[in-house]
Amino acid sequence: MRDDDLVTLIAVFVPFSLLSIGGGSAIIAGIQHESVAVHSWISSREFIDLFAISRAAPGPGTMLATLIGWKVAGWWGALAATMALFVPSSLLCYGVIKVSNAHKAKRWHKAMREGLAPVGVGLIIAGVMAIFQLAGGGLLAAGIAVASAALLLWMPRCPTVGVLVAGAGTMLLWAQFGATG
Amino acid sequence: MTSIPDPVVEPQLLNAMRPAPGLGALFLACLKIGLLSFGGGLSDWLYQEFVLRNRWISDEDFASSLAISQMLPGANVVNLVICMGDDLRGLAGSIACVLGFLVGPFFAVIALSAVFDSLPDVTMLEAASNGVAYAALGLLLVICLKGVQRAMKFPPSLVVIAVVAIAVGLMKLPLIPVVLVVAPISVALAWRPS
Repeated sequence: MRDDDLVTLIAVFVPFSLLSIGGGSAIIAGIQHESVAVHSWISSREFIDLFAISRAAPGPGTMLATLIGWKVAGWWGALAATMALFVPSSLLCYGVIKVSNAHKAKRWHKAMREGLAPVGVGLIIAGVMAIFQLAGGGLLAAGIAVASAALLLWMPRCPTVGVLVAGAGTMLLWAQFGATG
Repeated sequence: MTSIPDPVVEPQLLNAMRPAPGLGALFLACLKIGLLSFGGGLSDWLYQEFVLRNRWISDEDFASSLAISQMLPGANVVNLVICMGDDLRGLAGSIACVLGFLVGPFFAVIALSAVFDSLPDVTMLEAASNGVAYAALGLLLVICLKGVQRAMKFPPSLVVIAVVAIAVGLMKLPLIPVVLVVAPISVALAWRPS
């Protein structure tokens, strides 16, 4: 049974590794769909928690995969999911810098970058929508998200972990004093 | 691949560069950044460490490595340390960098998750977790806004953003086939006008 879990984890995360265009944030919607709806590894609630933890912890946000692997199959699951997400893209990256003379700006580099960037942005927007719907926070959620974005746009030097703590603080205050039910 | 910058372009930079570090030093530098980099912005940390503090990598090489790592799939920062590790120490350098970079966060997220699960007050925990998630959505929104802003220069890119966001976000189409269809079209569109 556990072996099956490991194989499934790898089968899910390897394609995401190679399609995480523009970085790990692009595959949030895909990871959410696979782990909550398709494989029922975790509940929607757990997904929000894992997303929050992966964002608050050090390292790339893609460590979300590590946490899902951990929930599914403990240490081996965490290791399998992490490797599945980081090894394929890393091999591809290494291959590309070896094959192409990477430090020479090339036309296809430019086309690849400019062509893939909007796909990555579209995917991140999809991820934002997926989490927004999952968290079901309505206006309050939107307010915190917009306020955080505005804060970072006005003060780019503001430490992001401070923004996350402010978000948590706002919700704790709301839970304590603001909520009626 | 060589890490020596063009001496004609950057003579003073060449003088200022330090010799390539050993694998242990690379591993430790990445371990430090991996562990200290709370809440993203990791490429800034890498810039500080590799270019400014240790002067292992030239400004120019950093910029081109960053461009490549953003172009390819995978976490940008992981691709970035692969490029820089290879520049400095070849394949072993890349492996030392990636391992050093990921080993800290690997245990950190699991530890944080274990602490989270062990805390008793579920209601407050949920509230805090939601708050972090909402604020993190704000961070993602900033990336989206900047992406849309860049895409304004080339309207077909705006269409690509909209198509992907609607297909995956609203219509809940599976991400993989959407990307496989849209990405080649988008690259082809970007090819011509340049």
